[in-house]
Amino acid sequence: MSFAESEGPPTKKRRFFTEKPDILDSSLGAEPSLPDEIDAFPTAAAVEPYQPNGFDLSIPGTGTPSNNKEPQSDDHDHIPGFDSETFDSFVGDKVSPDVLKQLREASGDNLERAVNMYFDGSWKKKAAAVSTGSIGGGTAPKAMTINSFARSGTSGGHENNGMHEEAESPPIEVSLNNTMPEYRYVGAFGVGAWATRSGTTLLKHGESVRIERQKIQPPKPTVGKGKGRPAVTPLKPNSAAAKRVDVIVRFTNPKGEEVGRLPRETANWVSTLIDQKVCRFEGTCVYAPERIRTNDTIFLQLRCSLLRTAFDNRGFKPSDNRKTGIFEEKESSEEKDLRLRQVALVKLFEEVNLLPSRTSETTAKYKREGLLQAAEVAEQYENSKPKKSNSAENVGSSPPSAEEVEEGKELEQDQLDTLYKKAQSFDFNAQAAEPAETFAMDLRHYQKQALHWMMSKEKDEKDESKEVSMHPLWEEYAWPARDMEDKDLPQVKDQANFYVNPYSGELSLKFPVQEQHCLGGILADEMGLGKTIEMMSLIHSHKSDVGMRLDGASSLLQSVNSLPRLPAASANVERAPCTTLVVAPMSLLAQWQSEAENASKDGTMRSMVYYGNEKTANLQALCCEANAASAPNVIITSYGVVLSEFNQVAARNGDRATHGGLFSLNYFRIILDEAHHIKNRLSKTAKACYELDAEHRWVLTGTPIVNRLEDLFSLVRFLRVEPWSNFSFWKTFITMPFESKDFMRALDVVQTVLEPLVLRRTKDMKTPTGEALVPLPPKSVDIVDIGLSKPEREVYDHIFNRAKRTFAANVEAGTVLKAYTSIFAQILRLRQSCCHPILTRNQNLVADEEDAAEVADAASGLADDMDLQSLIERFTAVTDDAADANVFGAHVLAQIRDESDNECPICSEEPMIEQTVTGCWHSACKKCLLDYINHQTDKGELPRCFSCREIINTRDIFEVVKDEGHPDTKWSLQRLGSNSSAKIGALMAHLKALRNEHAGTKSVVFSQFTSFLSLIEPALTRAAIPFLRLDGSMAQKARAAVLTEFAASKKGVVLLLSLRAGGVGLNLTMAKRVFMMDPWWSFAVEAQAIDRVHRMGQTDEVKVYRFIVKESVEERMLKIQDRKKFIASSLGMMSDEEKKLQRIEDIKQLLS
Amino acid sequence: MAALPKRIIKETERLAREPVPGINAVPHEDNLRYFDVSIHGPQGSPYEGGIFKLELFLPDDYPMTPPKIRFLTKIYYPNIDKLGRICLDVLKSNWSPALQIRTILLSIQALLGAPNPDDPLAPDVAKRWKEDQEGAIATAKEWTRTHAMT
Repeated sequence: MSFAESEGPPTKKRRFFTEKPDILDSSLGAEPSLPDEIDAFPTAAAVEPYQPNGFDLSIPGTGTPSNNKEPQSDDHDHIPGFDSETFDSFVGDKVSPDVLKQLREASGDNLERAVNMYFDGSWKKKAAAVSTGSIGGGTAPKAMTINSFARSGTSGGHENNGMHEEAESPPIEVSLNNTMPEYRYVGAFGVGAWATRSGTTLLKHGESVRIERQKIQPPKPTVGKGKGRPAVTPLKPNSAAAKRVDVIVRFTNPKGEEVGRLPRETANWVSTLIDQKVCRFEGTCVYAPERIRTNDTIFLQLRCSLLRTAFDNRGFKPSDNRKTGIFEEKESSEEKDLRLRQVALVKLFEEVNLLPSRTSETTAKYKREGLLQAAEVAEQYENSKPKKSNSAENVGSSPPSAEEVEEGKELEQDQLDTLYKKAQSFDFNAQAAEPAETFAMDLRHYQKQALHWMMSKEKDEKDESKEVSMHPLWEEYAWPARDMEDKDLPQVKDQANFYVNPYSGELSLKFPVQEQHCLGGILADEMGLGKTIEMMSLIHSHKSDVGMRLDGASSLLQSVNSLPRLPAASANVERAPCTTLVVAPMSLLAQWQSEAENASKDGTMRSMVYYGNEKTANLQALCCEANAASAPNVIITSYGVVLSEFNQVAARNGDRATHGGLFSLNYFRIILDEAHHIKNRLSKTAKACYELDAEHRWVLTGTPIVNRLEDLFSLVRFLRVEPWSNFSFWKTFITMPFESKDFMRALDVVQTVLEPLVLRRTKDMKTPTGEALVPLPPKSVDIVDIGLSKPEREVYDHIFNRAKRTFAANVEAGTVLKAYTSIFAQILRLRQSCCHPILTRNQNLVADEEDAAEVADAASGLADDMDLQSLIERFTAVTDDAADANVFGAHVLAQIRDESDNECPICSEEPMIEQTVTGCWHSACKKCLLDYINHQTDKGELPRCFSCREIINTRDIFEVVKDEGHPDTKWSLQRLGSNSSAKIGALMAHLKALRNEHAGTKSVVFSQFTSFLSLIEPALTRAAIPFLRLDGSMAQKARAAVLTEFAASKKGVVLLLSLRAGGVGLNLTMAKRVFMMDPWWSFAVEAQAIDRVHRMGQTDEVKVYRFIVKESVEERMLKIQDRKKFIASSLGMMSDEEKKLQRIEDIKQLLS
Repeated sequence: MAALPKRIIKETERLAREPVPGINAVPHEDNLRYFDVSIHGPQGSPYEGGIFKLELFLPDDYPMTPPKIRFLTKIYYPNIDKLGRICLDVLKSNWSPALQIRTILLSIQALLGAPNPDDPLAPDVAKRWKEDQEGAIATAKEWTRTHAMT
């Protein structure tokens, strides 16, 4: 505690804040016993007339009570003036007219100031100085003046005991419902203060002590800023001087002489409470030495009362960031004040030993502990120099650095599970709603329940059966009924309690109800439960007033209404009362449109895909209220379009209207599908989505939290759920506790955020009667072991050994991280060689791995690696010279046809399996022939025909392909490529078997390597198996066409899908078989792909085959899949650095 | 023992259903890959009238590799040694999986009618066959009588 540093120049300060010291001085004289009675102020009728006067005096011309929360002014507008009677009753004494006159002069007819001056005696000395000062400093901080005045008015009557009765009966409670006295006792505590001066009889036992604040303050905020909040002076966070001295709390004796200061640890928080007008403190000297010397300890008892003003500023202002949008939030001085106040309040309650009478059950047991932690951190921050302020980042005390905000801690899987489990407490008896008649589909019961829930969310109907619960962040405290001397304290009617939000330091007299003003929510049903259908039923069943009117008006006015009209005022964002905007990933646009149509009776739904060329339309003109009758009911667009239009609007300085696009409308409803697309609140897409306007906002996602709590924040922000959409708020109550290891509390809070917002059901939920929510047909997942052919194995071994060498060398040299790209690329090669050796030479790699691979190629000189080249060359031989059997002459064809029904000469199968012919046109099963050729070559002999002993050219082996699609079976010979791979072979065998056993069954083939899909294509062509393909490179229209064709086809079509393009959203229930060609790092991704087929709407058993090469990196990947952590990195949630470290661990395992 | 391949089953069935004249092949009950074979000596050959017993075994990789066959009955013949082993190309390098038990046994029967002393397995027999064909044939007849007709 430095005495020197606290030696601020008080006179200088007074120059800026004339009133404040005065006010403080005025309360100085308050006698210790007095406040007991003063607490009873609400019943002090006599004070009433004076209050308004004082009020009016200090705020001439401001009649609006809402601004200053001195509601008395409502009732009393009468002339501001210097009424001597008023003055008398304020000071509680008869003042001589002379004195009064001097006071009036000195105060410039300001009653408040005069009262103050009277008490501090300053009017005698500095009448002139004060009056000039009042001109300069008196205008700005009105609110503050009022508050102080009110206080000084009531407390000033210390000399007159008659004042007590007066103070006890103000009629405020009559005129105001929710008012309390100016201040109300909450408790008292003792403190050992220290003297700053020497002298005798400065202070005696029992004398009242005035607690006052003097501090360096930056210029006052503007009047406007003071509105609605206590006129807290924001501290300049960067001013080191202000920080050091701004907690000093002095105390003066009844004569107004400074005697000493409160000890620093007390002053730290007492100063905040005084500065922020939360509390008033009245001291009584318990013990003081007769002869006081500097630094002596003086024992004081401080009596604390909460000021009414502290309760006035309910709630957070809506965060400005929403409007500024693009800028990152920083902790404002307001937020800092709030934090200081929070800490101070916790300390106060601790000192006066006031415990909450009620807290939210879920959070109660974590609160205190956590808050004291927060207090400690905050103290640390207080003590730290500004340059160190970053160390306190975790309480958000400093502007979050870009890095920090991007990170955020990851949830462990089990935490995520816990959270989801909590969010899934679905009430099976919840009410259900019937969809509107225009809705053409049947809903399952749980879907009707979702509809009811969503409609009640949109209509904001309070579920009356539900008990009104206290906001989880608040605590209830009972006003003490007796003071520290055990005297009864007057009570206020209907106000036995007050409420404190210990997280923010807010106070309230009203019961803080947990409210949701958001007219939407998060529909988080698990994939396959029909979120889209549920949403469509909502679109049909809940329409805006305009929409309802239109439905009612029927066709009479239609002819008129359907005429396009220009929107009345195109300068603004127009209402689109009949339009729901759906934002979905591009691959789902077509599906949304078809679902919209399928779910609607004819003519009841106008849907429009707003994408690509269709974007020419002026949406504003199309959808505005004037054209409501013809406006599209649903506009479906992609996240990409939202982003690009956002950029366009931003380039026009935010001129939404003239752009005429998505941002020019205020929709009736917005639905974000697969909303985890915006989980990063810093991403441009997320920011663009926040800016979309709508009455009702919904997000659909199967995973509201992918792996960190901030994921949820972004959704909440989009939904505009107050106050959670304020990131500081979020950070303080969720991120911070979570990161300081207080998971349970953070998760509990998250749960309370989620609970009213989220509806989530999972597929494995059971109804009370034990039925599955959605009975899905069974699904089997089998791993198919693949043995590589000899040449394939050679390629694999070659790459494997090299990768192992590289890795070992790097481990030895400690350069693993550096060589990461190269090592990782080699692993990629390994995985590719399991699929098909040619892949390792393919340039069209999976996007994010491509660069790495190329770099690695260059680095390792792979391109010149002749050894490997020669190994692979065997696979690059001419591929697709499909040969028509007719080319070889009729007799050949006849022979082949004749033999086709014969038994295989080698294995006696009848007919032959995959009839294959040699160059000398002798037929056998494909496998038998190849086995025999291998058998001979293994012995080092030239392969010869089993039949005629001709030498067989291994390139002249043909598979006989019968295309049964044609009326006359079309025969063709397909050269058996030695360029096939074991996996392709296995896939073809499965598909052919499927064709034989269940002709017409559709299948989906997933691979992460699109180039592998390209190699599968010719194999399918050869086998005359019809196929379609969908990958990331395709345009939206083409995708839609593919999906339509796949759905419509009557044949056993195979759909080739890239894992990435097809992993999300698609509905492929028409397929019954899934082939996973290669494993991905996390099975979750594969599972999601499988669920495209095995989802609601699937009617048959689904069989899934995962092709895994035996004794290879793929087998080890399966083991890695079991490890939870990898989920995160595979989804791209980790930083690059984390990812690398993670994967190096895995690579070790892979190469072991 | 692994399940019997379809091919072996089919061959066995067929041998029983459509027996080849002069040839008889019956699998052992306890080992279906092991056959007891008897071949009648071809007409007009020194072995006429004799019934020669052979054993035939189908190895695991049959029909990739040829069956193993040996004469159990003593026979005086330049291409069959004292242990009954047979010198026949289709049982060695000229084997093809398209050949079957039936075809192989027919080949052996035919071989008895056309001895080939230039590619001998029993050098002393081959030598005598070249130098004194009549004497050799007489010995063959003699052996057939003594060993193959009882």
